[in-house]
Amino acid sequence: MKKFVAVIAALAALALAGCSSSHPSAASKTGLNDQAGATGKYLGFPLEPAQPRPQFTLTDTAGKPFAFGTATAGHPTLLFFGYTNCPDVCPETMADIRLALKSLPAELQKKTYVVFVSTDVKRDNAGVITKWLSYFTPDVQATYVGLRGTDDQVHAAEASAHVMLSEEDGQTHSAEVLLFGPDDYAHVAFNSSSNEQQSIAHDLKVVAG
Amino acid sequence: MKGLIAGVAVVALGLAGLIRGAVPQSAGSPSQSTSAIVVSDAWIAAPVPPTQAAAGYFTAYNSTNEAQTLLSVVTGAGESNVLHTANMSAETGGVVIPARGRLVLSPGNGHVMITQLIGTVKAGQNVSMQLTFENLPPVAVTATVYAPGEHP
Repeated sequence: MKKFVAVIAALAALALAGCSSSHPSAASKTGLNDQAGATGKYLGFPLEPAQPRPQFTLTDTAGKPFAFGTATAGHPTLLFFGYTNCPDVCPETMADIRLALKSLPAELQKKTYVVFVSTDVKRDNAGVITKWLSYFTPDVQATYVGLRGTDDQVHAAEASAHVMLSEEDGQTHSAEVLLFGPDDYAHVAFNSSSNEQQSIAHDLKVVAG
Repeated sequence: MKGLIAGVAVVALGLAGLIRGAVPQSAGSPSQSTSAIVVSDAWIAAPVPPTQAAAGYFTAYNSTNEAQTLLSVVTGAGESNVLHTANMSAETGGVVIPARGRLVLSPGNGHVMITQLIGTVKAGQNVSMQLTFENLPPVAVTATVYAPGEHP
């Protein structure tokens, strides 16, 4: 357990960004990006060791339970935690994902899942998430899933995905986009600061083989 | 009440000209070209429905040999403009830009949180933005609105 907490803390320190203020991690993020440039295979930052596709169940926008691990198994999957009232990181991230997918062959798009988990359990109801996601889906053939849950459920999902636990009604949250491949591992992630579309498109192709 | 008047003025200007938003100019006349603070790459990310919040970004270079404190930023896009950076939030009263230093706001690294939007803020529009400093005249610039993901 102690080790697990340490891992979470380390990841949090690296990936903390969120839409809220006061995150002291800019230097770490830059370090990660520099490192990513040196590895070659991925344009995002590599995850070593690779992280297994997490098993968590939340509620989709139709009100039905969505078991992330089994529902997306075997598919290229982009997983992102955020909230719709986020002014900066979240919309830029979702827009980058859309632009990345648009640049890929339709066949690959159709295999891909984009899963958005809301960290704002109070304000993001199913209607809000549905409308917000629809802004980012035109001309894209991937399957988009918007998920919500209680605070505890969302925190459990974040823990199982090894990202920072959200705080302040979900307004401070991980800015990591995890990319799981058909092998059900995430070998690479993206720090969703800006203009990540080329990295996401490139690495999606790599993991999809 | 002051906010309401500013809002009305902004809407009127928006209808009349290219600049859809004007900022209240109560603290002296803004300067730009010969300014001690050079503001560049000012832009605003359009809100994504159904949310009603936009984000403002810019780079501010302090060409003086003294640290300068940026007190606030207002834009013509919304009635409420709150500066959030990695090192300060609205409550702490200002962000210090070191002598010959740069403050860069970009997604994930600080923004002006714009709420109570005035009219529809959408890509392609130009919006006024004004930065107010503790010891310098305010600086006014024009910020272009981009859809999320479209800013170069």
